[in-house]
Amino acid sequence: MSLVQSIVIGLLMGTVFGVALEKSRVFEPGMIVGQMQFRNFIMLKVFLTAVATGALVIAALHGFGLVKLAPKATFYAADVVGGLMLGAGIALAGACPGTVLAQVGVGYRDALFTLLGGIAGATAFGYAEPVLKPVLAASGPGKITFMDLTGLSYPVMAVGLAAVLVLILVGLEMWRPWRADLGADVDGDFGPAAPAKTTRSHLEPAE
Amino acid sequence: MSEIAQARGGSGSGFACSLKAKAWSPYVAGILIGLLQVPAFLLIETALGASSSYVTVGGIAASWIDPAVTNIDYVAKHIAATGKNWWQVALVIGVAIGAFLSMRISGARRQPISPIWSRALGTSSPGVRYAVAFGAGFVMLFGARVADGCTSGHGLSGMAQLAVSSTVAVAAMFAGGIATALLLLRRI
Repeated sequence: MSLVQSIVIGLLMGTVFGVALEKSRVFEPGMIVGQMQFRNFIMLKVFLTAVATGALVIAALHGFGLVKLAPKATFYAADVVGGLMLGAGIALAGACPGTVLAQVGVGYRDALFTLLGGIAGATAFGYAEPVLKPVLAASGPGKITFMDLTGLSYPVMAVGLAAVLVLILVGLEMWRPWRADLGADVDGDFGPAAPAKTTRSHLEPAE
Repeated sequence: MSEIAQARGGSGSGFACSLKAKAWSPYVAGILIGLLQVPAFLLIETALGASSSYVTVGGIAASWIDPAVTNIDYVAKHIAATGKNWWQVALVIGVAIGAFLSMRISGARRQPISPIWSRALGTSSPGVRYAVAFGAGFVMLFGARVADGCTSGHGLSGMAQLAVSSTVAVAAMFAGGIATALLLLRRI
C-alpha cells in the first residue's frame, strides 16, 4: 500500500465516518455534554452500537485468518490518568478527538480552537514523553485482553460482548427512544433559547 | 409537519437514511462506523483511531520551528511518512469533509457556537468559549496520548478487541467526563 493509496483510503473512510457522525448528531456539543449530564443518550447508543458491530466484524475477519488483533498494552496508571484527562477534555470541548473535525466541517467556530488546543496538547505530550513514559508506563502486564484473563476464544468473547451490548441498547431504547433526544434543531439543545418545539414535558418554561 | 418529521430523522417508518435526512438512527450510524473497521484492518492493517494524527500534525509543525524535536523517538515515529500515520491524518480530514457534505445536503444550518454553551458556561461570551475550547482540546489530546488512545482507538477499536487497557481507559474517560460535566459545567 503506497502512501498516496493510504491517504486516498483515509479520505474516503473519513468521509463516511464524517457523514455517520453528522447524521447521528453525536458530534453535537449538546449530545456530548448531555450524555455526561445523563440528559441525552445518543452518544452512548452510537458508541455501543459501533463497538458491537466492530467486535462482530473483527471477529469474522479474525476467524477467517485475515487479520491479527492489535490490542494496546495495558499500563494502569497511564490508562486511568490519561482516560480521566481525556474525559474532562471531552466534556469541556463537547467533542472527542475525532468528532472535533466534524464540528469544524459544519462550521462551529469554537471547534477550531479545540482543534488547535488538541494539536498543542499532542505536541506538548510529544515533548514530555521521554520524561513521562518512565513514570506512567514503567511496568504493566502488556497487551492483555479479556481472552487472556478468561481463557475463552476471541470469537466467543466478541459475540458475547456484542450480545450483551445489544441487550443494553434494546433496554436503553425502550426506556428512552432516540428521537426524544434530538431536540428541535437536532443538536441536543432543549434550553429556553431554542425554538420551542421540545417534546419533553418535564422541562420548565423559560425563567 | 413534514419538516418536523424530516428534522426528527425521516419518515414515519423511521429508517429513512437518505443523505437529505437531518438525523439518522444512532443504530444505523453506529453500524456504519463499526463496519469501517473492515477496510481499516484489511487495507491499512490497523484499527480506527484519531488521536495519533494530532501528534503527526503537531510534530511536523513543531519541527519547522524546532528541528531538534525529531530527536525524540516518539515524535519521530509519528511524523514518519508511513501509510498508517498519513492514513489517520487523511481520515480525520475526511471526517470534516463528510460532516460538511452531510450538513449541506440535509440543509441543516449551525450557528457559530452551539446554543448549549451559553447555559453550560453561564456566559454567552465567544471569547470565554474559545478559551475553554482551546484548553479542553489541550487536555483532551494530552490525556489521549497519555492513555495511548482516544474514544476511537481505545473506545471503538480497543473495546471491540476486548483489550483490558481500553476498557480501563474508557471507564476512566466516562468517569472524567461525567465528573467534569456535573461539577464544572452548568446543567444544559
